[in-house]
Amino acid sequence: MSDNKKKWFSLDLGNKRKETTACGCGNAEGTCNSKQNTFGEERHKDGFDQVFDVQMGRRTAFKKLTAGLMIGAGAISTSCSLVAGDETKEKAQIDWEEQFKGNYKLMTDDEKKATIDRLTRSYQLRTGKTINMSAKNAEENVLFGYAFNISKCQGYMDCVNACVEENNQDRKSQMQYIRIHEMKDGKGFNFNEADDNYYHEVPAEGHFYMGTQCFHCDNPPCVEVCPVEATWREDDGLVVIDYDWCVGCRYCMAACPYDGRRFNWSKPEVPENEVNKNQHYLGNRLRKKGVMEKCTFCVQRSRAGKNPACVEACPTGARIFGNLLDPNSTIRWVLENKKVFRLKEDLGTEPKFWYFMD
Amino acid sequence: MNNNVIYKIIGILCVVLLAASCKHHEEEYHSITDKIEAESKDYHGISISSEEHLEGLTMIEVTENGITFRIPKRKGEIKSYACTECHNKPLDQMQSKDLKKAHWNIKLNHADENTMNCITCHDGNDMDHLKSLTLKTIDFDRSYQVCSQCHTRQFTDWTGGAHGKRIESWAPPRASMTCVNCHDPHKPHFESKWPERYNTQKVEERK
Repeated sequence: MSDNKKKWFSLDLGNKRKETTACGCGNAEGTCNSKQNTFGEERHKDGFDQVFDVQMGRRTAFKKLTAGLMIGAGAISTSCSLVAGDETKEKAQIDWEEQFKGNYKLMTDDEKKATIDRLTRSYQLRTGKTINMSAKNAEENVLFGYAFNISKCQGYMDCVNACVEENNQDRKSQMQYIRIHEMKDGKGFNFNEADDNYYHEVPAEGHFYMGTQCFHCDNPPCVEVCPVEATWREDDGLVVIDYDWCVGCRYCMAACPYDGRRFNWSKPEVPENEVNKNQHYLGNRLRKKGVMEKCTFCVQRSRAGKNPACVEACPTGARIFGNLLDPNSTIRWVLENKKVFRLKEDLGTEPKFWYFMD
Repeated sequence: MNNNVIYKIIGILCVVLLAASCKHHEEEYHSITDKIEAESKDYHGISISSEEHLEGLTMIEVTENGITFRIPKRKGEIKSYACTECHNKPLDQMQSKDLKKAHWNIKLNHADENTMNCITCHDGNDMDHLKSLTLKTIDFDRSYQVCSQCHTRQFTDWTGGAHGKRIESWAPPRASMTCVNCHDPHKPHFESKWPERYNTQKVEERK
């Protein structure tokens, strides 16, 4: 959201000695707080030690105290100032509350409502446009599943287009959740020789097409590895990300065996008139630089009862989506009547994305 | 004697341990299929419905292979229905040179000439309806019954939901497209075309 704001306050006080070396975390700016005043101590301290177990002169202590007071006073003066406009105050208030909100996973429904209200208002203050953001929770008795018909896919890539537009993906880096692989007949699933960025008339002679995206594993390795629990599996099976809690370490990207996750290396750019204003907190709301994102089975659509954008856009009917717990659903019929398989089933990730052929 | 008892105890312990180690927690399942099976046993429907997304569409309800679902009505979408508005006399009388040509843009490209021509599906004596191979009347709204005579496998898949598309919503009640919503019955194959998108950034990155 507010991009020029740091996620956490980094109190860079007592900076007599300007350190020239880059920080251990790889960030040149020293935003990771790993360097505290250790007063020449060589021993590496962590946790509470870094904060409390610091030898401090009277002078430094006073300095820090004064600086702390000034920061607090600054924040208060912005929100209480008579000079600053109402909107500026409100913006400051929203930014402050957004800064210190908790993990979405742990929020109560009221807190969820409060944060989407703040984000909607913040967008309105910044752009003058109104978005419709939802925080709809998982529906009971729903477990989302997906089936992909390899014999039907013709490689038209209508799904990719629909996905990019629906999910407000970065146009500058041309981020795409879906990859369509063009594979040679008779070679099986050979991803080494497959082409996922072809540009010729399709379907090409002697080739077949298959799509990959986030498979929403029931035992997701990406969730296991997240050090801050910014990604988790919802009750309806969707693996989601709290973009405001993600620290951008990309462990999940490395852990995913299906290349399902994408990283924002730069600030995502979506032209204002192309922004999809029908959003969900866990879905297609606008992201910021340095966070992960991925397919959410279009949570903003699927939880409202609609098909994901890729399913809707597919002209060949290769994509089937539905509720795995409903014995009469079409997805269940496919699983029970077609010969289905999943990618890298032996890993035990239990993807909820099945492939089948006519 | 003592050894026997020890072996037995070890044996029992092994069995207990194996049984216990398979499940990490009480709520977890061996596989997603187990989970689906177990959790769908007490499925009593959901509060989400497709109705609001299907508003404004005219549909009919069909039951095939024991599965009931909705398909869009067809007659309203055919530009010149009812056909008898023009076809008011037998076909051979209409093929004279005095009358304006119609349907000139339709060229049949569906199976070969030995198998199909116009009157395989259309009824020259009753232009407002289709007909089956055994000359039974089929309504235009249920044109899938014409297709299913030959395409039996596709028909089975379609009734189950593996062939074709759902309309708008995954939620019940189910509404699916019918054959002619995607396939032109006179030329049912899909044309080849260029992909909708080419990722130039990906090319740069992989240089």
